[in-house]
Amino acid sequence: MSGLMTSVPRRRTRLRGLKTLAMLAVVILLGACSTQKVVVSGNFPEPLISPMPLTIGVWYEDAFLNHEFFDEASGRAEPSWLVRTGEAQVQMWDTVLDSMFVNFVHMKNKPGEGELNQVVDAVLIPRVDELQYAIPQHTNVKVYEIWMRYHFDLVNNAGEPITDWTMSAYGKTPTAFLRSDTDAVNLAAVVALRDAGANFAVNFTRVPGVRDWLVERGRVSAAATGSQTIGTEIEAAQP
Amino acid sequence: MTVIRTASFVVIAALLTGCVTSTVDEMVFNEPTEGIGDATVVILGRRHASDYETEPDFIDCVGKHIEARDSSIDVIGELEFLNQLYPWFEPRTAPLRPQDIDKLMAQPPVAARMAALKTEYMIWIDGSTVRTNSAGSMTCGIGPGGAGCFGFGTWGNDSDYEATIWDFTDKAEVGRVNTSASGQSYMPAVVVPIPIIAPVQGTACDGLGDQLLEFLSSEY
Repeated sequence: MSGLMTSVPRRRTRLRGLKTLAMLAVVILLGACSTQKVVVSGNFPEPLISPMPLTIGVWYEDAFLNHEFFDEASGRAEPSWLVRTGEAQVQMWDTVLDSMFVNFVHMKNKPGEGELNQVVDAVLIPRVDELQYAIPQHTNVKVYEIWMRYHFDLVNNAGEPITDWTMSAYGKTPTAFLRSDTDAVNLAAVVALRDAGANFAVNFTRVPGVRDWLVERGRVSAAATGSQTIGTEIEAAQP
Repeated sequence: MTVIRTASFVVIAALLTGCVTSTVDEMVFNEPTEGIGDATVVILGRRHASDYETEPDFIDCVGKHIEARDSSIDVIGELEFLNQLYPWFEPRTAPLRPQDIDKLMAQPPVAARMAALKTEYMIWIDGSTVRTNSAGSMTCGIGPGGAGCFGFGTWGNDSDYEATIWDFTDKAEVGRVNTSASGQSYMPAVVVPIPIIAPVQGTACDGLGDQLLEFLSSEY
């Protein structure tokens, strides 16, 4: 009687153990070909900068609003990566532009040539041209990196182009204090976005086309446009 | 009984801690004679190198070490300072020489914020902790009857950090402290892995923190 009473729970325990083992194996097998998803989120501070006396509109295209980057795994052992930056991009650029200009507005429609909009002085149209990432498994260096290249179009209130230029942003973060790959990639993306905001805020008036436009409008003197930067880099794409 | 228990805890803790060798070099140009008064200090990590990054938790550790030893010193948190002064202290825009402070202070909002923060000393820390070598192997298994590991692993860590002290009022470098530490950690495993960790980064943090205290505090 006692033998029967003890053998049944033992069999159940073994069965439960085997079930757990099988589930673990399935999870490991599925994990090998999974996708690591990162929806970038973070806090972006307001730039400490004197606002320029301009009313600037911004137009975010759908591709920018929903910007994401997908990298398919090259082998079974590596996961694919999906990095969604759209929401964080809008959050960061809204914060930066709102501090940089006396007035900042979101455009309801894409500015078109011949359509005069008297509310704004100019409209900025940002785009993410390229995004690259690197994790320690790729580089053998204990840092996670995100690199982005932006393209900006600045058009006047009649929708005619003023200038366009490209700008790069870079963010990296060490592995030591982070728990997972996704947390580290998120933080690297936040650092890259902060870098983009810093690069834009500090160098905006140094972009040749922007500088000429500002001088033409009498908003700033030619000398003042060069004095805002400390050891920075700009890549101006001349039209 | 309590004494024996405490003593055994101390012995176990000592046994489970690996050995660390640490060296500290100091070069001071102009030390404040009566401490820093009611001014504040900010400790920032340099993040310009491509292959390493000064760890934010190390910066935090040095700040906490200084505040714990001398509560009269007010150390501003790194992230708080970076956010308050954004975008002027990001890796791309941060001043690289004390002379660059003048350019920064030419921005009226920056000058006003710095005055509000009462920052007298800015300490830049550059360096990192790296794993130098590792050896051994360990096998872990799991089965219906239980789980366990068997094997032995060992690895070394090297820390190398340099702190540069800037006097924000005089716009000059007033001191430089360098600390390096190295240690070997071990992990034997017979069913249960027993980590014997060498606190390399912690030792470097204490060494650097103590030297900075000698510079900043009137009590040291």
